[in-house]
Amino acid sequence: MSVDKPAALELAGVFQHVGGRAALAGIDLSVASGEWLLLAGPNGAGKSLLTRLILGLDTPSAGTIRVLGQDIQSLGWGAMARLRARVGAVLQGGSLVASLNVLENLLLPLRGLPGGRDRLAREARLAMTVLQLDGMENLRPRSLSLGQRRRVELARALIHRPELLVWDGLTDGLDPAAARDTLQVLRAQRESRKLTLIATDNDPDVLGDACDRVAVLERGRLVFTGTPAELETALPQRLDLRYLLRGRA
Amino acid sequence: MASPRDIGLSDAPDRPFHGPRGWVEGVGLAGLTLASCLTLYVQILLGRARLDLPAFAAALRQSGLSVLPAITLVAAAVGAILGRQTQTILEQFDLPSLVLLSVTYGVVMELVPILVGILVAGRAGVALAVRQATLTVNGEVDGLLASGVDPIRFTVGPVLLAMLLMSFSFAVWTSLVTFAAAFLWLWVTVKIPPALFLDSLARAFSPGDLLEAIAKPMLFALLIALIATINGTAAGRDPLSVGEAATRTMIGAVAAILLADLVVILLVRG
Repeated sequence: MSVDKPAALELAGVFQHVGGRAALAGIDLSVASGEWLLLAGPNGAGKSLLTRLILGLDTPSAGTIRVLGQDIQSLGWGAMARLRARVGAVLQGGSLVASLNVLENLLLPLRGLPGGRDRLAREARLAMTVLQLDGMENLRPRSLSLGQRRRVELARALIHRPELLVWDGLTDGLDPAAARDTLQVLRAQRESRKLTLIATDNDPDVLGDACDRVAVLERGRLVFTGTPAELETALPQRLDLRYLLRGRA
Repeated sequence: MASPRDIGLSDAPDRPFHGPRGWVEGVGLAGLTLASCLTLYVQILLGRARLDLPAFAAALRQSGLSVLPAITLVAAAVGAILGRQTQTILEQFDLPSLVLLSVTYGVVMELVPILVGILVAGRAGVALAVRQATLTVNGEVDGLLASGVDPIRFTVGPVLLAMLLMSFSFAVWTSLVTFAAAFLWLWVTVKIPPALFLDSLARAFSPGDLLEAIAKPMLFALLIALIATINGTAAGRDPLSVGEAATRTMIGAVAAILLADLVVILLVRG
């Protein structure tokens, strides 16, 4: 890795042991600042588990995780909260707070940040406009469709202008048009500032030419890491990858 | 590559606070919850944090106003029961001052705090445990954490404050209703004069007693909130655990109230 491109994420020997088996087994991975990495693999490969570890929502059984240069296992609550102010997250299965409306959910990451409530609400409304959520500020999450909830989650993940965005299940709940629009929003964020993206999906082509690198997980192990072009080159020779990613040998 | 089991890795726990370390972890969480809430309240007083007013109002409604009719009815019934029992004693022993003194003391120092504690546990405590458990099960806690929000401060902070406030108010209100009901009974049946009743009230308590009588329900409210937080968090991600969290909170809170009462009596009275 070059000196001018510090790592946004470094995983070294990460294990996670769940229910008597290694759900993640010795993951070593580095993601450079500004890089877009897609974690691909079939259901149950360990993608969501890995994103939870990266976000500090679970503790690994072994190994080291450094996010934006900080070893997250050594951080106290205050330092972790400061680090989380630099990270955005969209979680699989949804994580909006049901008792709060859309606007209040969007304001959650801005709590504790400087700025009056009116200014923060203006920023939240701007984020809603960008993600076509206008008029929904007073609705509760249960009143929204799955796709709308995902867009609210994305707005919440981006509202505090994070350096790193972790998105579990990139196209979950999104129709093709919404997925395209969402990717457009992400591209705009990338152009306006150096946003690092770590996304998971079953489809290795979902990010298109925006993807810098693909990492393929199978049964808790990284079985491939490389550029999308390298993956395409490897597929004819790698029967296992073809089966995992294309559903055919 | 060696398997995780070969190199002695432990399982990630599916549900927290289980097994031999569960008690220690639970006590640890209770300590963290208390510290977190106290920090929040100090920050609010210093103007560095805002009280979540909608959540506080909802908690006040849940732990207070919605319980008021029930607690008033229970207090009136208890007052009438005490009045009837006192009537029997007065018919056997013609020592009205002494009998009223002991009844008054028992009501304010023991009966009302325990009664208020149990009702607050049944309403606000169980509701808090269910809310905590549901937040965890639905992944909302993950959303809060990922957004840099302390879930304990977010959920317990406003509720604990509401429970403390309502426990204090209920202690005063329940005492008044119980006394009124007991007095009415005795006035009608054995013609106890109001002056004698008020005199017994005035002589029964020192300032220290009154402080203890007010502090006890607030201590119980604190214990209830901590027990509810532990049980709500212990539900993990299993939806079936939500009901279990409610049951465990009720049982744990009642046990804790009685044990804490005993400890307070032993500490204060020796």
